Amino acid sequence: MSSVSSKQGSRFGALGVYAVIYLAFIYIPVMFLPLFSFNDSIFIAFPLKGFTLEWYRQLANSEGMLDALYNSIKLGCVVSVLATLLGTFAAKAVTRYRIPGRGPVITFIMLPLVIPGIIMGIALLVIANMSGVGLSLFTIGLGHLMVSTPFAMLVMVSRLEGFDKNLEEASKDLGDNPWATFRRVTFPLALPGIVASLLLSFTISFDEFILAFFLAGTETTLPVYIWGQLRFPTQLPTVLALGACILMISFVVVTFAEWYRRRGVQLKTNSGV
Amino acid sequence: MSDETFISIQGVSKHFGDVHAVDRVSIDIARGEFFSLLGPSGCGKTTLLRMLAGLEFPTMGEIYIDGQAMSSVPANHRPVNMVFQSYAIFPHLNVKQNIGYSLVQDKLPKAEFDAKVGEMLDLIKLPGYEDRASHELSGGERQRVALARALIRRPKVLLLDEPLGALDKKLREKMQLELRALQRSVGITFVFVTHDQEEALTMSDRVAVMSGGRYLQIDTPTKLYEAPQNREVADFIGTMNFFDARVRETIDGKVAIDAGPLGNLTASPGSLAFSAGQNSLVAIRPEKITISSAKPANGNAVQGVIDDTAYLGDRSHFYVQVNGVEKPVAVSAQNVNQSQLSGEGHQGQIWLSWSDDAIVLLNAD
Repeated sequence: MSSVSSKQGSRFGALGVYAVIYLAFIYIPVMFLPLFSFNDSIFIAFPLKGFTLEWYRQLANSEGMLDALYNSIKLGCVVSVLATLLGTFAAKAVTRYRIPGRGPVITFIMLPLVIPGIIMGIALLVIANMSGVGLSLFTIGLGHLMVSTPFAMLVMVSRLEGFDKNLEEASKDLGDNPWATFRRVTFPLALPGIVASLLLSFTISFDEFILAFFLAGTETTLPVYIWGQLRFPTQLPTVLALGACILMISFVVVTFAEWYRRRGVQLKTNSGV
Repeated sequence: MSDETFISIQGVSKHFGDVHAVDRVSIDIARGEFFSLLGPSGCGKTTLLRMLAGLEFPTMGEIYIDGQAMSSVPANHRPVNMVFQSYAIFPHLNVKQNIGYSLVQDKLPKAEFDAKVGEMLDLIKLPGYEDRASHELSGGERQRVALARALIRRPKVLLLDEPLGALDKKLREKMQLELRALQRSVGITFVFVTHDQEEALTMSDRVAVMSGGRYLQIDTPTKLYEAPQNREVADFIGTMNFFDARVRETIDGKVAIDAGPLGNLTASPGSLAFSAGQNSLVAIRPEKITISSAKPANGNAVQGVIDDTAYLGDRSHFYVQVNGVEKPVAVSAQNVNQSQLSGEGHQGQIWLSWSDDAIVLLNAD
């Protein structure tokens, strides 16, 4: 018995070492961001010089960066809502109705997932110039909508397929009109999917670089702005401070999303016979 | 049960593309009747039920419920409710909210709402279950909750789509009896869809046997079993032995037939018409054949050899090879005394006998 447990122990030991290396590989580079954001030096190098909040103060006063951040948040909100709406309708159509050409329709909606961003960026740039729309946040938004809608649809299709379509029929049978069915059955059951889709499309828009780089007019998004700042070494610590803030917010958001998703999974298992 | 027609299905067809799921079906169902649609999967029974519910609309034909044409009435305005095969219990609502789902539109005072839900819980014998979450219910409990939810507004018709399919055998038999008792006590017309012939025979006033989008026969369970109208029904309901035969002549309402290896027989034609020289089919139920070691003194008899025996506790099945008959003849015998149990008493050549009354005469297809 002791031999078995020692064997298991060594196995877990090796796995444990692997796990530690794996986690370190992923998270140590990211952890440098907050670490150096409090370092009292413009050079990103050890040894650390001392603790300072100077970079956070500069961040609060950096108008260009805050504008870009505001643009990104605004864009992310609009894009996530629109992508989730479109994704939900498309998902409802392909999961609930007998529509002709269902397969090709799904393929076309999903295609932007596999088109390289740089190709799409160039294509949209050409179209924007040709049509005389001009480059602005609006054109970036359109680009982001194109790439995030397939993700939103994927999330919503899996959510809508996850619950029995008899539930919607039962609601109809029990006297609900289509709107009441949506309000009382479809929406509450799809809600975890809707939240996941909003978070996902927001994240996609928020850190998208290539399309924004090609399609930006006078106003830029945060990733494009940060890329521009990297040419000025003195600005780097401020970027780190911003990065640390974003990291913190992402952590909170992802934790919330995961908690919400698990709640959704629980509901789903409950709906089984 | 009154004879007044309550649901009238008139020439109804439903096509999905090229598939004729339901093909020109006309059925009248009486008020308060327990009516079953029986058939294998894909026979159109569920599609027909869904058209009654308003979840599908007929391609052709019209359905009348209580004298009102239904073609322009959506599901939410029909006086019918349905128990789904999957039960479709709302997973985000508790038992009380599920059962009272259709009452919410009425905006009842809370006390009245609770009283109505409580009344239904008493009816389905689950008192005190109001606050249970839907995932805490067992299969049988879910089935009852689905039933209560469908009955709470006292629909004129209750539609049931294989509601017992997901339950284990013991529970299913118990629920069959309970459902029948419930139907009698509430007096609502039930339309019940099943592929289980035993279930249909046990519970129904009348059964429509369906196949390929059409019905083969609509009759009481007894008539379906004792006097099937064609080979498909005879074959689908229970077990049946078939023998090719030819009509010799018809005299005094009786038909004289030449049944080849079984010899010359006389049968009653039932409601079917036969003429001399016509090919026909002699059908005999396994339990209506008697097995014996000695030749019976009189009556119809044929000699054979026992090919195989199956012991089923209360009865045994014998499969008997008869010269000139392709398939072994199935015989079912009650195990009244122990010597008959394994067919030990019947070795070598045995005799099969049956009365004229046991013969069902069918048209050859």
